[in-house]
Amino acid sequence: MRPLAVLVWLAAHPLHTTLTELTWRPSGGAVEISVRAFADDFRAAAASSRGTLDSGAVAYLRERLTLVDAAGQPLPLVWCGVKQTADLLWLCLRAAAPRGLAGAGVRVALLFDRYDDQINIVQASYAGRKESLLFARGDGLKRLP
Amino acid sequence: MSELRVFIALGFHHITDLGAMDHILFLLALAAIYRASDWRRGLWVVTAFTVGHSITLALAVTGAVTLPTALIEFLIPVTIVATCVENLAVRDRARAPWGGRYRPVFAGVFGLVHGAGFANYLKSLFVAPIAVPLFGFNIGIEAGQIVVLAVAAGLLGGLDRVLARLGAARLASSPLRLRVVAVSAVVAVLAARWAVERSPW
Repeated sequence: MRPLAVLVWLAAHPLHTTLTELTWRPSGGAVEISVRAFADDFRAAAASSRGTLDSGAVAYLRERLTLVDAAGQPLPLVWCGVKQTADLLWLCLRAAAPRGLAGAGVRVALLFDRYDDQINIVQASYAGRKESLLFARGDGLKRLP
Repeated sequence: MSELRVFIALGFHHITDLGAMDHILFLLALAAIYRASDWRRGLWVVTAFTVGHSITLALAVTGAVTLPTALIEFLIPVTIVATCVENLAVRDRARAPWGGRYRPVFAGVFGLVHGAGFANYLKSLFVAPIAVPLFGFNIGIEAGQIVVLAVAAGLLGGLDRVLARLGAARLASSPLRLRVVAVSAVVAVLAARWAVERSPW
């Protein structure tokens, strides 16, 4: 690619970001996970390796979103649906977490396979506190305090 | 990590990412006329830009105004071209209208346009309460711009030395003027091409 063509391509500068909200419900001992992602990007990522969004979204999320408890045991993710508003997908997952999210490990690697500048933000609400994590390409598991 | 720090990091990453060529080149065009000793003026202009984009970002993200994405994406490179044209048109800064004090105003107005560009991405992802993310994102943008400005100052200073060694003094223009013309012309051509490609008409 010629240098000028590279600069023209770089000028298209969207913000490649997803937002994942983790909300722990003490009554049910479970964490509700809501992932917001731009529909075009997510559909392409989920479908490129596995056919369609419906068949690929769950597998893609399980592959790219990791949640472990304080002891390091993976928390299995249960799919609870998807809805779309305008150009945004709202993806829903749940996981049993009877001990809460304190000390839990999180890794959100969504869309790192598509964009070098992808940033994934996590906002966790649990036990009366609100914590945030930021994931860039190459980041591993991060622990909630 | 606090929510504020996360969004400061997001804003900083957004502006310093090499993918952000439209914003980086706009900052380069703004900085092209200044020597290192003029850093206060450069910082003032960049801060005016931040104030401008903070206003539209807040208005758009909170839903107070709705901005047409295609028009905004077109206007962003237009502001870059306009900055370059001003760089080229004003040969003697000491005799510029109003002593050149209009530049922060221009930067602020152009910032309104760039802020609308940020908002078109942010408003889809973040819903109320938006105050902390919005504030943090703007702080990160400002910090990132200062870093870009510092790097640009170093590069422009290096370019001045190269032009001086090449014998710019023997030419009709000063090394600073040659630098302004060279940088502004290259950036203007690139931005004009973006404007044509993004034209909504």
